[in-house]
Formats: sequence, structure tokens, C-alpha cells
Amino acid sequence: MIEVNELRKIFPLTKQQKSELLTTDNHSIAVDSISFTCQPGKVYSLLGPNGAGKTTTLRMIATIFQPTSGSISVCGYDTVKEAESVRKKIGFLTGSTGLYGRLTPNELISYFAELYGVSKNDLAIRKQKLYDLLDMHEFQNKRIAKLSTGMKQKVNICRTMIHDPEVVIFDEPTSGLDVISAENIIELIKECKIQGKTVIFSSHIMSEVDLLCDDLAIINKGKLLYQGTMEEFRTNMQAENLTAEFIRIVRNS
Amino acid sequence: MIFTIFKKELKETLRDRRTLLMMIVIPVLIIPVILNISVGLMSNVEKEAASKEMRIGIVGKNDSFIAKELISVPSTFGKKKIRFYKDSLSLQKDLKSDNLDLGVVSDPQLEEKLQLKIPVAILWYFDGSEMGMEERAKGYMQFIESKALQKRLEELKINGAQIKPLLPIYKNIASDKEMIGKLAGGFLPYIFIAFGFMGCMYPAIDLFTGEKERGTIETMLVVPVARWKILFGKMGVVIISGLLASTFSLIGLYFSINYSETINIPEITNVIQSILTLKFIVILFSLLIPLTIFFAGILIPLAIYAKSFKEAQSIITPLNIVMIIPAMLVSFIPTFELSYSSACIPVINIVLASKDLIAGTLDYGMLAVSFLVMAVFAISSVFLSNYRFGKESNVSN
Repeated sequence: MIEVNELRKIFPLTKQQKSELLTTDNHSIAVDSISFTCQPGKVYSLLGPNGAGKTTTLRMIATIFQPTSGSISVCGYDTVKEAESVRKKIGFLTGSTGLYGRLTPNELISYFAELYGVSKNDLAIRKQKLYDLLDMHEFQNKRIAKLSTGMKQKVNICRTMIHDPEVVIFDEPTSGLDVISAENIIELIKECKIQGKTVIFSSHIMSEVDLLCDDLAIINKGKLLYQGTMEEFRTNMQAENLTAEFIRIVRNS
Repeated sequence: MIFTIFKKELKETLRDRRTLLMMIVIPVLIIPVILNISVGLMSNVEKEAASKEMRIGIVGKNDSFIAKELISVPSTFGKKKIRFYKDSLSLQKDLKSDNLDLGVVSDPQLEEKLQLKIPVAILWYFDGSEMGMEERAKGYMQFIESKALQKRLEELKINGAQIKPLLPIYKNIASDKEMIGKLAGGFLPYIFIAFGFMGCMYPAIDLFTGEKERGTIETMLVVPVARWKILFGKMGVVIISGLLASTFSLIGLYFSINYSETINIPEITNVIQSILTLKFIVILFSLLIPLTIFFAGILIPLAIYAKSFKEAQSIITPLNIVMIIPAMLVSFIPTFELSYSSACIPVINIVLASKDLIAGTLDYGMLAVSFLVMAVFAISSVFLSNYRFGKESNVSN
């Protein structure tokens, strides 16, 4: 479970950033007092246009950033006070996540398993299962740099799941991927839901959200504009389709 | 966990051709190449100078005193060919157009003045931009003068020893090792420092800037390992790379001295072989370790700050100059020596201590100060790296 409480994140602005943003403010509010809860066995979607604060929120959940104020609890652990315990519980994957090209998939998976404290026995079992599921046996000993985008995405999925995380965070996981590679991610999210994991993912692709999510929140300029179940969103929408309704809510804010 | 990260980073680094080139190939090859080329060139120049036929022009006739004396100079002074000129202008013209190597003009009343025992001027023309010409002229003149002096003494019936009350003897008490250590000893520490820095540079960029450029930094920061442990694992590889580059340059030196046919100057090879002892290597590495940690500690924050390889290189290259140029200057100035004040200047202290170490004149008190100062700077740079590595801006920028 993820519990986000009155979360705020303020970034100091450099001179260059101020001139680029045409502002005299010394700070930029990336996330402004947002609260939500993601339940196990459900997929929570964070929707918003570019620069809305989705990535910053997910990075705070993943302990990469510390909140300026407010709190986040992941599986009962505080992301600031118990960051390492939180990290053990999460899997983190973004559309732009890279891999170490000079390693082979086998070496990379073993490396991350070791970092997450996975025992050799568990590693062997999980690796076998994930390699079967993702059809990775053929290229497990090739250098990652020589793999295709689709193969790399499979390695990335395997890396994210090798420690069997309770919470999985996806930051625009399908951005920049072709249809087949994106399908792997969608299947992974579905699989996580079946396994009872807590899943949060950010996106601005409404078809993906419609297909996968149980609960959603719409944020823009760091503020929470809408929060509810997907069912409620569909029922109460005033525009003719989901994308139009998303745009209407963002514009009205 | 530090070791797990270290192993993985080392494996990746050893699979990077660019790093291998900077860490192993160039350090091993550069010293043999430089030594072979420079020693080869020097010996060629010497051989050429020795075998060169000197074209000497004399203003006057072939039966003049200076002509006869020059012709009598033995062939051990090198081959010579003498031409005669009517005036000094045409002689100078031939010298300028490189048709002559030396020109001699003497007083027309030379022989009369000699008989009257009046000093006579002998003017030697040479082109100073041509190596060794002045020395050849002085050599000929010394021979002619000593012959003339001997004749004069005989005429005056004076024993040469009687007019030479003092017989100065200049005795150099410095050993060959000390001489080479003081004069050329700066070359070795400079090489170790230059390669140590370059050895650290590429892994630092690859392991820190590279994480950003390849998009792996977020993945690394969400693993359940303290950030300082991640930093230490990576830093270990940067330090090892720097030390390996220095070591390989030492190996290159060893092989070029022992197995190169070009470098066959027994005085120098014997001295260098006597320098390369186990004690020397142990003390040298005890100095190089804090130095390399310091290099890693200042390179890492810059590599973390940069967003791309290109940016990292453009930031680090000026630092390379800042670090290496003073080391190079100090290396080659024989009068700049290790003292308790210079032992407090980081990097410079290591160069000077290494110079004294090579010369065998190292003061262990100053060595300890140099080591401590470098260790303090190394530890500070590690803290700086840790501070920079923990910043959120590494990801947000």
C-alpha cells in the first residue's frame, strides 16, 4: 500500500532556470499538497500533462527525492526515515530507464538480485520463471548493448521484478516504445495486479489508463484536480470520451 | 554491498575499450615510445655531428700561421675541409648561405706580433643556430693555443708547471643516482601523476556522467543500498584505474630500459635499474594512493555535475591542465626542492617527494608531512564527492 499525505515538493531555481521560465521566483512548486492512497491488488494511475508533477511524485515515492513537506508511507515504512526498507519493497521502471550495455542480461539480473538481497535459490527460481514468461533464454548471455529495444525492455522488466516487489512504480513506462514492447509492459501491469501487488503508474495515454487502472488521479501544475475510481470517472464524465474529459478537467483548472 | 558494486563497475570498466586504452595501452607504450624516439634522435644527432665534415673558411693564404695550425689539428677532432678567402665579407656570405660551418679571420700581422710576443686576436665566425659549432671552434682554438703556448714557454725557457701555482681539482660527490634523480628525476613522478589523472578521468566520466547519459541513475538510486556505499564502490574502480595507469607506465619504463636496443646507455640504465627497487615501489605507491584518491575525489563531483560525456570532458580538461602543468613545471625545475612548506602543497609535494625518492635523498619527516597533507586532501575530496553524489539535482537536472 502507498499512502501519500499532504505532499509538497519545492525546487530551488538556478539563474538559468529562472530566465528559461521567465520568472523572478527563487523556487518552483512541483507538487502542491497532494494526498492519495494506492491499494494492494489495484492499479492506480497518475494522469497529467507534461510538467504536471507526476514524475516528481513518483520519485518521492521511490525515495529518489525527499518531500519538502508531507509524508509518504510505502507498506508501512516512511520514505524519509526508512528509505532503505521502502526501497526493498519497490520495483521502479520508467520509459527512459537505461541498462548497463556492457553487461549481459544474466550478469545484470544477478547484480540487482544481489543488491536487493535475493538469495541464490530464490534468484534461480525467479529468473527461470521470468525468463520463461518473457522468452529471454535465447539472449541471456549476449551483451545488452547488442540487444533490440524490445529485448532490452524485457531485461528491464526482469530487473524490476527480480526481487518480487510488493509495490511497483511505473513512470510513463510505454513512452518511446513500439506497440509490441509496450504490450509487454501492459501485460506486466496486469500480472502485478493479479498477484496482489500495489501498482502506481503515470501516463497521459488515456487508452492505457482505460485498459488498466482501477483508481486514478489527475494532477496539473502540482495540484490534485481529480481523484476517484475509474468507474466513477466514466460515469461522471461530461465530455464525449475519456481523452476529452481529461483535457476538459485540466483546462478548467 | 560496496564490493558487489565495485565488482560490477570494474567488470564494466574493463569492457570499455576507451578506458582500457587510457588505463593500460597508452601508459605501457608511451614511455618506451618517448624514450626510444628521444634517445634515438639524440644518438643520431651525436653520430651525425661526429661524422660531419667541417667546412672551415680562412681569410688569408694557405701558408699562413692559422692555416698551417688548423691543418695540423688531428683527425680525432673530426673531419675538416679548409677553404681560403680573400676577404671576410665573402666568408661571412658563405657562412650565411650555409656553404661554410666555421670562418677564421686573423690579424694580418699575426706572425710578426707572435714574434714580438704581443697577443693576437683570432676571430671565429659561426652560426649559433647550428648545434655544436661553437664547441668545435673552441676545440680547434684550444688545440692551437696550447701549441702556441708550449712554444712560447720553450722560447722563454720556462717550465709550464712553474707558472701554474694552483692545480684545481673539481670532485663531484653526488652519485650517478643522485645526479640523475635531481636532474631528470622529475620526469618519472610527472609521468605517474599525468597517467594517474588520465587513468581516473575516463572511469569517473563513465561511471558517473555515464549513469545519467544512459538513464541508469534512477535505477541505481532505488536499490536498497546507502548512497555512500554506491559511491565507494564506484570510487574504488576510479582509484584502481588511476593506480593501474601509473603502474602500467612503470612497467612500460621497466621494459623499455631492459629490452630496448635503442636505449643502451649503461650509465643511465644501471642507475634506473638501481632506482627500481621494492622499497622504491612501496614508498612511491604509498604516495600515489592518497594522490589518486584525491584525483578521484575531485573528478567525481565534476563528472556528477555534467549531463553528458561531452560536457564532462569540457569541464575536466581545464582541470587536467591545472593539475598537471604545475606538476610538470616543478618536475623539471631542479632548484625547486621538497621542504616543510612545499610539503604542504598537494600534488606538488608528491612530485618533489618522488624526485627525492629517486635521487635517494628523501627526508622521511618531509615524506610523512607530504603523505599526511595529501591524505587530508584525499579525505576532504571524498567528503566532497559524497556530498555531491547525495544531491537530488543529480536526477532532477
